[in-house]
Amino acid sequence: MAIAAITGTAATFGDHVSADVILPARHSFLDAEGMAANVLMDLSAEANAKVRKHAIIVAGEAFGYGTGRESPSRALRAAGVRAVVAKSFSRLFFRNAMNNGILVVQCPELVNCGVQDGDGIVLDLQVGSIVWKEKTFQFPPVTDVVAKIMAAGNLINYGRQLLASR
Amino acid sequence: MNGTTLAQKVIARTGGRDHVSIGEIVEVTPDFSYSHDYAAWAIDAFEKMGATRVHNPDRIAVCFDHGIPPNSSKDANSLKRVRDFVRKHNFARFYEGGTGVAHEVMVEQGWVVPGSLSTANDSHATSGGAVGALALAVGETEIGFLWATGKLWFRVPETRRITLTGAFRKGVYAKDLMLQIARELGVLGALYEIMEYRGDGVKQLSVSERFTLCNMATEVGAKGGVFPFDDVTRSFMQGRAKYPYEPVHSDPDAPYCAEMAFDLSQIQPMVALPGREDSGVPISEIEGKDIQQVFIGSCTNARADDLKIAASILRGKKVHPNIRLLVTPASRQAELQALKDGDLEALVEAGATLMPAGCGVCAGTHQGVLADGERCLSTGNRNMPGRMGNKNAEIYLCSPATAAASAITGQITDPRRALQGTL
Ligand code: SF4
Repeated sequence: MAIAAITGTAATFGDHVSADVILPARHSFLDAEGMAANVLMDLSAEANAKVRKHAIIVAGEAFGYGTGRESPSRALRAAGVRAVVAKSFSRLFFRNAMNNGILVVQCPELVNCGVQDGDGIVLDLQVGSIVWKEKTFQFPPVTDVVAKIMAAGNLINYGRQLLASR
Repeated sequence: MNGTTLAQKVIARTGGRDHVSIGEIVEVTPDFSYSHDYAAWAIDAFEKMGATRVHNPDRIAVCFDHGIPPNSSKDANSLKRVRDFVRKHNFARFYEGGTGVAHEVMVEQGWVVPGSLSTANDSHATSGGAVGALALAVGETEIGFLWATGKLWFRVPETRRITLTGAFRKGVYAKDLMLQIARELGVLGALYEIMEYRGDGVKQLSVSERFTLCNMATEVGAKGGVFPFDDVTRSFMQGRAKYPYEPVHSDPDAPYCAEMAFDLSQIQPMVALPGREDSGVPISEIEGKDIQQVFIGSCTNARADDLKIAASILRGKKVHPNIRLLVTPASRQAELQALKDGDLEALVEAGATLMPAGCGVCAGTHQGVLADGERCLSTGNRNMPGRMGNKNAEIYLCSPATAAASAITGQITDPRRALQGTL
């Protein structure tokens, strides 16, 4: 199954952006549009505007740590985010983001390069490569059931395919 | 080294395998899963997948805890939808709002058993490690996927061994140890790991204290926390387990990725400063800070023993006029026990506001929201900006004893003063 590469521009963030800051619990039951309007608002209006404009988040340590609620991931997806590259992630954010069709890649090397807002980035999941300016970075290709989920687009699509094939 | 860890053994069994390697991704059938108010999204996922039948409903339970009783017709409708689904699909148990926080209720009611793989769509599902279960958190969509397909995937985690010796001194509790561990590890210091406790100090810890430590494993990025099955677990499980269980132990030569050791007698009362759970300091560094609200609640520290500790300090005293003291028992059972023991009477007499058993103000969606610039001292597990509903308020984390002593003085206060009668 082929998984298309992700092409987009960067929205940069620092360390320790918690999932509660990405989307506080009080906004959990909003519809997609409401979530997109509120995502990262607790950080700043500028942060919200940035992720709605750029599809690839480049962040520091512990992106999405804290709450295991899935709504922060759903909110990022609703805002148009396709991938997050960071120095490190919490495991639940990793699961929730991937299950909602957001590629999550740990790549401190890229983050340390001084990526700027709006920089173009291309992520290839199958090869495991990130291209930024003239530089290429490697990450372990996505495999197993996780690759099937990404190929299907998200966990719901994968579940639907699985049930249909039974 | 041929030994394997508890986590490897449990994942191998539930994955139908003889052996699994650390780092491998394995599809498993959990022994038990549960959900809470956010089951509404699991239902969304289930329906969007086109599923009609729930797999293994006799090993699934739901307990409402986050937003109960509901604040709005929208929330009420969402809860109703979950209730209807649970009945239609014959889930093993449904616990109505007011029974308690799901993590607490599932351990208390014997659904999470030693050696089992238990999972829930909530980060503090890790709490089940208190009884020797491999208790792992997933997302809501994954719970819908589990209902629809009977399966979930997990990466086989590394295990960190934490050796405890000695016993706590008076006024020091499991929460203080946990805040010390978080201070040493940082918010992702145990990322993907299982934190496995061992050593002579473990024997001194009740299931409730073990619960506090496993509950906050997620605050250091861990996949779970787990205590070995011992006499304490055995007597706790007596007459409680909902299905047969077999305790599982790591082999003596199991591979560990890291080691830590703590002499419990050296731990001080700790307070985590606002913003991050790993920002704990010994209480002497922050004593005297004015606060406006004290919250004794959450799945971390609001069981009968926690309420008893708080009551023993507040009995015959009055809550400071500048303080709102909110008490939210972790479960109705804990509430009932505290009622029978006279602990609730002592708390209410002192001026506490009693709230329904459940999450209460912990997640900041439902009552008890702070004003801009206010400070709350909480027995909960999280203090990042906005956690209790207002990013312009500050949350400090501590033990029930510290919370109770501070409620009397109106400032962050060393609970040892209260216990020595010098408050
Ligand atoms: S009490 Fe707080 S931490 Fe525990 S499940 Fe409820 S909201 Fe989460």
